[in-house]
Amino acid sequence: MASQITQLHEKLVSKEISCTQLVQEKLDALAKNQYHSVNFLLSDLALEKAKAVDAKIAKGEKIGLLEGIPFGVKDVFLLQGQHASASSNFLKNYISPYTATAIQKLIDAGAIPLVKENADSFGHGSTSENTIFGAVKNAHNEELVGGGSSGGSAVNVAKGYTVFSIGGDTGGSIRQPAGFNKVYGLKPTYGRVSRYGLMAYTSSTDCVGPIASSIEDIAIVMNAISGKDYHDQTTYESAPIDLSEFNIQHSTFNIGYYSDFIDNKGLDANIKKDFLAVIEKLKAKGVTVKALSFKNADTLVSTYYALAMAETASNLARLDGSMYGERANADSLKESYALTRSEGFTEESKRRIVGGNQVLSQGHADEIYLKARALRAQIMDHFNKDFKEVSVILSPVSPASPPKIGGSLKDPLAMYLSDIYTIGFSLGELPTLTAPVGTATGIQITTAKKQDELTLKFAKFLIAAL
Amino acid sequence: MSKEMSLEDLSSIKGATSSKAVEELFNTIKNAPLPAESKDFNNNAVALEDLRPDEVHNSSELEKKLIKQNFPKEKNGYLVVQKVIEN
Repeated sequence: MASQITQLHEKLVSKEISCTQLVQEKLDALAKNQYHSVNFLLSDLALEKAKAVDAKIAKGEKIGLLEGIPFGVKDVFLLQGQHASASSNFLKNYISPYTATAIQKLIDAGAIPLVKENADSFGHGSTSENTIFGAVKNAHNEELVGGGSSGGSAVNVAKGYTVFSIGGDTGGSIRQPAGFNKVYGLKPTYGRVSRYGLMAYTSSTDCVGPIASSIEDIAIVMNAISGKDYHDQTTYESAPIDLSEFNIQHSTFNIGYYSDFIDNKGLDANIKKDFLAVIEKLKAKGVTVKALSFKNADTLVSTYYALAMAETASNLARLDGSMYGERANADSLKESYALTRSEGFTEESKRRIVGGNQVLSQGHADEIYLKARALRAQIMDHFNKDFKEVSVILSPVSPASPPKIGGSLKDPLAMYLSDIYTIGFSLGELPTLTAPVGTATGIQITTAKKQDELTLKFAKFLIAAL
Repeated sequence: MSKEMSLEDLSSIKGATSSKAVEELFNTIKNAPLPAESKDFNNNAVALEDLRPDEVHNSSELEKKLIKQNFPKEKNGYLVVQKVIEN
């Protein structure tokens, strides 16, 4: 699919459509939608900004590529003066005091935020059922989950309610819902985009990235939101992604895939067959393909969740009803904290917080938390070695198609295990794109750190090859 | 003197107990062989020469107003906190 951003930009400039008309159409579609993808509509703000863009065009002034383009924001980002609920009871009435850096950069470029989007509460989930706003329904089959945690964002893009959406990806939360709803989703290299103003889940893997309907739009948004930020010391300066000179005909790639991932008993037979068919097609195109071994496959999920739970327990310790959020009154301070947190968090969030405190507590820290950190270091070394042999690694996005709504939260272990193909690349801090091709839930394309541009170039090559 | 705290106290969540699903994940870590060259990762540590200046920034009036609005309880113009000193 061609760039929607570019097409809409041309329509705005040629006055084929007004920005107010464009924004109003999207707001109407979002308001009517039955997918539970919306937490809060930003109608007044969006229409005010649209009028300003129309006034500029009427005066004959030039507008930037993103100016007047409507987008969605996962409801874990702050946007000054607007709700930021994390899809939780705790923060259902919380108003953002400031704006997240990535969102501010888009606003500075003229893009128009339309909606705060439904997601798993605090990012805790893989289906977008762990939310007080109702389970997000899949864009292609309303009986199935929308994926998670950025489920509302992926559904809004897939249905055309937003031109693109900004999600958060800690262990697959952009890539998996993108695959479930057949759109593109990029988890950039850790640190390429500022996390300032994103509610922290697992600070050492949290990434901000776009969900869109084309590779070109992913690149346009990435170029607007990337860069070093005073407020996030893990960020770094990066060159813009340039796909203009990329020639599919003259490109050569050396790719790999993990045979341990494909031999996993939990992998759906059709996804396996389709993934291997993609590999064969690439070989037929003359691409060098190497089967790699991933010796940490058995401990991957546990390593990720031990660290994720430890970090989220620490990050969410600040939510006690003292300064903001819903507060439950009690006779003592300690009782107030306990009541507030017991009522404010969902069962899944509580499970992760308790697990995290367990991991960090005396007697467990060495045998679980510190060991998980050592295993993560081993996983990172593993990726570094593999990327000396290949330039791109392909993998499935998920072991199975989207499940039906209603079952996943009853079997948390199965939900955790379903993240097996996404979480490794989060631990490795690697740029990884879901492209909605090849298998029922797409293909993941991963490259070495800071090679985000190569990830998108290979995606273009892959689309053409299939 | 040292007394092990319960998960309920550590988490400030009533009735908090460990979950079977989470225990299974942790058992996998406990039983995993330790990497031969066991080391930690610290990729995201910021170098001393790259630390940002230690400086105070005043929030905007709007930000201050929103922070106050978010406070859970207000009475006669005062922000009300939970009783800290108990009898």
